[in-house]
Amino acid sequence: MRTTGSEIVVGIVANPASGRDVRRLVSGASVFDNAEKGAMVYRALAGLGAAGVGHALVMPAPGGVSESLARQLRARAATPAGGPFPELETLPLELAHDARDTVRAVELMRERGVGAIVVLGGDGTHRAVAAASGDVPLCALSTGTNNAFPELREATVAGLAAGLVASGRLGPQTVRREKALAIALDGTPVDLALVDVATSGERWVGARAVWRPETARELVVARASAAAIGLSAIAGLIEPVSARDPHRLHLRLGPAGASWRTVHVPLAPGLVVEVGIEEVRRVERGVPLELAPLRGSIALDGERELEVGPDDHVTVTVGDGPVTIDVEAAMTEAAMRGLLVTEGPSGR
Amino acid sequence: MRTIREFEERLHIECATGDIPGFVHLYAGEEAIAAGVCAHLRQDDWIGSTHRGHGHAIAKGCDVVAMMKELYAKRDGLCGGKGGSMHVADFDVGMLGANGIVGGSPPMVCGVGLSAKVRGTDQVGVAFTGDGGSNEGAFLESLNLAAVWGLPCVFVVENNGYAESTSSLFHQSGIDVAKRADGFGVAGVTVDGHDFFAVWEAAGEAIRRARAGAGPSLVECKVVRYYGHFEGDAQTYRAPGEAEQAREDRDCLAHFRARVLGSELLEEADLAAIDEDVLALVERAVVEARSAPDPEPADLLTDVYVRY
Repeated sequence: MRTTGSEIVVGIVANPASGRDVRRLVSGASVFDNAEKGAMVYRALAGLGAAGVGHALVMPAPGGVSESLARQLRARAATPAGGPFPELETLPLELAHDARDTVRAVELMRERGVGAIVVLGGDGTHRAVAAASGDVPLCALSTGTNNAFPELREATVAGLAAGLVASGRLGPQTVRREKALAIALDGTPVDLALVDVATSGERWVGARAVWRPETARELVVARASAAAIGLSAIAGLIEPVSARDPHRLHLRLGPAGASWRTVHVPLAPGLVVEVGIEEVRRVERGVPLELAPLRGSIALDGERELEVGPDDHVTVTVGDGPVTIDVEAAMTEAAMRGLLVTEGPSGR
Repeated sequence: MRTIREFEERLHIECATGDIPGFVHLYAGEEAIAAGVCAHLRQDDWIGSTHRGHGHAIAKGCDVVAMMKELYAKRDGLCGGKGGSMHVADFDVGMLGANGIVGGSPPMVCGVGLSAKVRGTDQVGVAFTGDGGSNEGAFLESLNLAAVWGLPCVFVVENNGYAESTSSLFHQSGIDVAKRADGFGVAGVTVDGHDFFAVWEAAGEAIRRARAGAGPSLVECKVVRYYGHFEGDAQTYRAPGEAEQAREDRDCLAHFRARVLGSELLEEADLAAIDEDVLALVERAVVEARSAPDPEPADLLTDVYVRY
């Protein structure tokens, strides 16, 4: 296999646990195939190699992802043609088989000076990556269930864009700083969310997903697209907030039909539910917002993560989040600058 | 959950004395699965178990003392002392039986589902199997059959990452059990098998769907078991400290305790009372099992043939 020989390093995180939660039983979601994730990693590598990336650090991904990638690589090795391909290195990581693996992998990638990280997962995976990614640009690809943060995109093209950004050949407008919602418990930072924070009357984290609208009480969104799916769509269908807007929205929810407004929300694939809205207000960045005390749980980007009691003070503060790659902008700039064009002998 | 743990920990000790004939496969570490699933089942629902069936049997309501007597091969054991650990069954509580055949229960539970469907009842059948079982033809055929007939069945895969002593890396191509369900048009989910509430919620939805006529589902529970494949297994195939780490970080009972106390669903005294009852029950089971009478030679030919 031909390698590029360059010094440019890119990290790849593919979460083997994304896209298989309880929403397969309560909505029309289907399992996101781990073999397909492995194939996506392979396609991203092809894009990275073509963009001149010499070395790729990959988080070990059991459960079918690594195995599928290995199959793709064997097939490639047996094929005479093929463009340049990064040298692959699987990170030496002792797996805990939970989100800590992702955080640790991203920390190791930063220590090794990666120029970008390609992430395959859902909102939950990206939340774990963002906790550790700092200023490293992320190429956020969706392989989860209700994805408001990562994008559904062909991995080959995403790999090209990430490789071009990592090699420093594109301008600053091809990446952007996202917002994040910092969660503090009694004044101590505990976690962050990229899209939304909701309180739920369900007392335990359990199967994590929030799919019963009647259990949700309050919602804070960092961004809310009217075309989103999941909790952020509740806000998005009332007052869309783009990733570039300075403010966020805070909503108090109530019983459908008996509240000030009732919104028909796509809460999960195949699941459109009625959600009552009691109050909507804008909150500016940097100002901590205290959530109403409750016995229940706090959901971050649609997954219950924290169990809380009435004496816990939970605050949400909007601030800086991870840096992401705008694939469309990156590829447009690459085209304008002819980065993927070679002049032939018959060129004019 | 607590009863299963105590039953298994006690067997771990008692097996070493040599008083228990036959193989014993312990369930310790996986209790949240049996408890989280069976909490949704009625007495007239059915489960099919595995060679590691004590947890399923207890969670489905089998008598603990009679089970212990069965393991000690005593005449008034649950199956007359002639089945032992791998054949514990009690039709009165809907326990079709532990099963020495890997992947043996899924086809039987398709039978449960077909029976319920033909008779128009709202009973549900749950088949337990493991990651090794999920490679068996019978398991895959059962997914197909249950899907094509829309049977009220739930397939619970207790995935501990080893088929006996072989890691999934070496025995499973495309180690994606939930996706296998998808391939047959069966809804598949993956949950943390150490988390009672996660299993309970997912299994609740799967069983609700089955009962309501929405067809079969598969719930894959990822779990690390505490003991080896069988009692006496040297476990040279496992990473050192794997089980100890899981016991330390992910124990289902410790998590359950922290959560129900933290959310004030239960108090310390409630849990202490359960502990006390369970210890007394398992102690009584062992004492009674040891002194119970053995089967007579004439018992050899009873329960061999069934008149329909």
